[in-house]
Amino acid sequence: MGTFKMKIEQGFESFTARIVRFRWPVLALMLLLAVASAAQLPKLTIDMSDEGFLHPEDPILQVYNDFRDQFGRDDMIVLAVESDAVFSQPFLEKLKKLHTALEEKVPHLDELTSMVNARNTTGMADAIVVEDLLERWPESEAELGALRERVMANPLYRDRLISADGRFTTLVLQTDVYAAMEKSDEEILAGFDDLAPLGEEDGPGEPAARPRLLNDMERGRIVMTVNQVIAQFQADDFRIHLAGSPVVTSAVKKTMREDMMRFIRIAVLVIGVSLFLLFRRLSAVVYPLLVVALSLVSTLAVMARLGVAIKMPTMILPSFLLAVGVGDSVHVLALFFQNFNKSGDKRQALVAAMGHSGLAIVMTSLTTAAGLFSFFKAEIAPVADLGIFAAFGVLLALVYTVVFLPALLAATPLRVGKNAGSTEITTGPMARFLDRTTDFATGHSGKIIALWCVLLLAGVLGIFRLGFSHNILAWLPDTRPVKAATAAIDHNLNGSVTMELVLDTGRENGLHDPDILNRMERFAEALTVEDGWSIEAGKVMSVVDVIKEIHQALNENRPEFYAIPQEAALVPQEFLLFENSGSDDLEDVVDSRFQLARLTIKAPWQDAMRYVPFIEQVEAKSREIFGLRVQVTATGIMPLFGRIIFAAIHSAAQSYLIAFGVITVMMILLIGSVRLGLVCMLPNLAPIVIVLGFMGWVGIPLDMFTMLIGSIAIGIAVDDTIHFVYNFRRYFAESGDATDAVRRTLATAGRAMLTTTLVLAAGFFIFMFASMQNLYNFGLLTGIALILALAADFLLAPALMTVTAASSAGRGELLNR
Amino acid sequence: MLRPKPRLTALAAALLFLSALFAAPRPAAAGLSAREIMEHVDARDDGDNVTLQTEMVLIDKNGHQRERQIRAFMKDKGRDTWRIQFFVSPADVKDTGFLTYDYYSGEKDDDQWLYLPELHKTKRIASADKSSAFMGSDFSYADMNRRVLDEWTYKLLKEDEVDGHRVWLIETVPVNKTVEERYGYTKSVVFVRQDIFFPVRAVHWVKEGDRIKYMEVKKLEQIDGIWVATETQMRTTKNRQTQHSTILRWHDIRFNQEIDDELFTVRRLEKGL
Repeated sequence: MGTFKMKIEQGFESFTARIVRFRWPVLALMLLLAVASAAQLPKLTIDMSDEGFLHPEDPILQVYNDFRDQFGRDDMIVLAVESDAVFSQPFLEKLKKLHTALEEKVPHLDELTSMVNARNTTGMADAIVVEDLLERWPESEAELGALRERVMANPLYRDRLISADGRFTTLVLQTDVYAAMEKSDEEILAGFDDLAPLGEEDGPGEPAARPRLLNDMERGRIVMTVNQVIAQFQADDFRIHLAGSPVVTSAVKKTMREDMMRFIRIAVLVIGVSLFLLFRRLSAVVYPLLVVALSLVSTLAVMARLGVAIKMPTMILPSFLLAVGVGDSVHVLALFFQNFNKSGDKRQALVAAMGHSGLAIVMTSLTTAAGLFSFFKAEIAPVADLGIFAAFGVLLALVYTVVFLPALLAATPLRVGKNAGSTEITTGPMARFLDRTTDFATGHSGKIIALWCVLLLAGVLGIFRLGFSHNILAWLPDTRPVKAATAAIDHNLNGSVTMELVLDTGRENGLHDPDILNRMERFAEALTVEDGWSIEAGKVMSVVDVIKEIHQALNENRPEFYAIPQEAALVPQEFLLFENSGSDDLEDVVDSRFQLARLTIKAPWQDAMRYVPFIEQVEAKSREIFGLRVQVTATGIMPLFGRIIFAAIHSAAQSYLIAFGVITVMMILLIGSVRLGLVCMLPNLAPIVIVLGFMGWVGIPLDMFTMLIGSIAIGIAVDDTIHFVYNFRRYFAESGDATDAVRRTLATAGRAMLTTTLVLAAGFFIFMFASMQNLYNFGLLTGIALILALAADFLLAPALMTVTAASSAGRGELLNR
Repeated sequence: MLRPKPRLTALAAALLFLSALFAAPRPAAAGLSAREIMEHVDARDDGDNVTLQTEMVLIDKNGHQRERQIRAFMKDKGRDTWRIQFFVSPADVKDTGFLTYDYYSGEKDDDQWLYLPELHKTKRIASADKSSAFMGSDFSYADMNRRVLDEWTYKLLKEDEVDGHRVWLIETVPVNKTVEERYGYTKSVVFVRQDIFFPVRAVHWVKEGDRIKYMEVKKLEQIDGIWVATETQMRTTKNRQTQHSTILRWHDIRFNQEIDDELFTVRRLEKGL
């Protein structure tokens, strides 16, 4: 190990000497890289779509896409207009204007439903009228009254079109699934030849190219336009609440982007100030920032080049890389300025600094990267991206630090300073603090170990109390209007989001069977009336509502006929009547073969994780009601999330194990002793267990962001431990006295550990400036984990070393080789 | 949501639009204006007092097919048309009947009645326009009927060839919003065969939902000297993907049959075939 280490040190020295000699070509290369990377950046895309969370090949996504192909989008934009005079001439006129404005202005609109055009089926003695609700405009007070009566009495409209108290009416927007392909008339006219023949012989002989799903920008524009239109109509007697999952996603996206920009500014500021305080030189501020900025830009350029979009979790990448990447520079600069201030020989100082710290920064970067990379298989696609590209960025920061930082320092004139950045200062508050820490850690090793054991135990117990969550609405600050709007709509209209079930009867015309329709009705009733569901269904909609409506209209609108016709022969004839009545609404609820039925469950906004048990409950209930005759598949954006995040958090445990395993092996290799390596992992494991336990005790759930903490923290925390053990063994070999070795270790490496940890923790505490709750938690907890890790290295590690050194076996291993 | 309301016009009426004809093929007249070409199309003899069997195949986007057999009778009343149709199959809608009075003038709503044998009830279906789906097919009621010439403006786009026959491509645009609303098309391009003034293809730009509809005559026959499209396909596409398509086939077409006015009454509708 010793010669191996020496060889590496020599390698770094000669490498750095070469960098210094060829500093100008190296800087030219750096400039080239910067330009080439920057040129890629315009290609970088942002994708905050719901599907963006999933790997494209995820089977759950396939089910969802099939559903949307059949029935259209499930995630509606819901506008609820609140007024005390909904059934008045001015209100209805304004509603119609709003309806028209939305219809004209909102892009990619597939369907818009409001009181203006809701299906209104009326049966009379000899005729059936199916028309838009406001087709015949109510002229008099009497007609307005009749309209009110009709709307309030219609069970189809309740909670869907109008609230139970008649004070809220909705406009529901359904957008396109796919982007419209702009085609010239010429191309459209050629369509006879392009379209694959479709007939008996070749069935679904569609052209292979699938149209493109609406992208993030297009969806963003939809919500933006809706907001613009609403702004013109908003009034005291016409209060518009806007909700629905596209609106929530859009708000999250906007808030997150604002947060992100703020983080980058603050990160640069915090790092800059820290570097200045530490080194008191402009060059020590600018150069490391240049190096990490270049690493960040290059990483983003690679993402752009590979077509990997920035998604919600990867948004933390920029400020994260800035903070983590700067650590390498700190170590190099600390040694460099110490040598340089002493000798004034820049080249010699650089070579010595790199030779001395090269291996350490390589090892610490590798452990950090390993911690991040452990997410590469995460089931949430952008979390996997984050793992891969953050690890890549950290390694890039290492390479750039080793190559460009010396070149920059060599190429520019530097003045010789006095002591700044020295690691051998023996006076001052920091030295006194480190000295006292040494006394305490070595003097009370037994108590310290016992205390950490207690904390560890509490942590383990807390972990069992950890909850899971995915609730993007809860992430938003209360000031976002969508929060109040969602609450208002959930409260007054029994829900703002939907979940979808597809019932497969297994045969053509299966839905012509009154028995199946009856069971569907029972199923819907069970969902809304029975207790014990983990999701409270506000309303259930299906083809059953349509057949009841037709049946009633066929029977002169008598309320007792709002029921499923019980004569099997009548059902297909009533459907045929409906098909010919002018409405195409059937295609929204059944497939054309009447084999599949869509059952839409409208529910208040809830944590997506609650859909996981709900789906199981629904499946059990459907087996109870339908037996094996009908197969039920659950889909829709909300349950989709629940299932994915649920699976992902479980796979996070796997990531933790990978990270811990890989880093332990690296530690053992570095130390050259299995036992000692394992002992050294204790100060790394403890902070994470304690933080996770803390989350369990105070009720902060594991979500897409907090689940990252463990692997990130262990990758970073282990750096300090490596520095500690590395130095401790060197000094212990010299003196053979554990206390002395700890004192000298803390006095030298301890300073760098303290400063880098403070900078890094600050880098994470920056996230506490977020307006979003999830980022706040993420930053706070990761920062705490890092500080705890430092505390473990300052207290637990010395205590463990003292105890180990006290036994002869341990002493042997410490001195080994 | 509602589609604009349908009129339950008769299936056989398709013949009017699709196969109105001149008995003898005329040579391609050079120098005809678009409007003049459409006048020729409109002026073709489309036969009268027709009986026929219709086979309607509905194909969804997954390629699943449903077949319907319909018996139809049709009679001209001036420029208006009376039709009565009875489902023959599938069994679950057998004997369901439709009676329609289609009025040529767009301003007058069509009258339609539907008879449900299981309920022994006839209901008049109130309706307002021609753009909705004909019996759940891709054809709208308007597609099945002759258009009023003056409600459209015409532009000759170019000449081309379809299956070895010269055609004119004529763009037709509704003269006003009311007409656009009634037909549901913002524009159509009709491919008219030059030798027989027969529209063998058409592309319709659907107002709602960015859909494009393609009509294609698959089989054209001369029966009693009258050109008839005996197989026609209409497919509804969005983003170049076929969403749904319908094939209409006509069999046993007989012109100039003895058809009593009395056939086109509600009483007769309820009596069945």
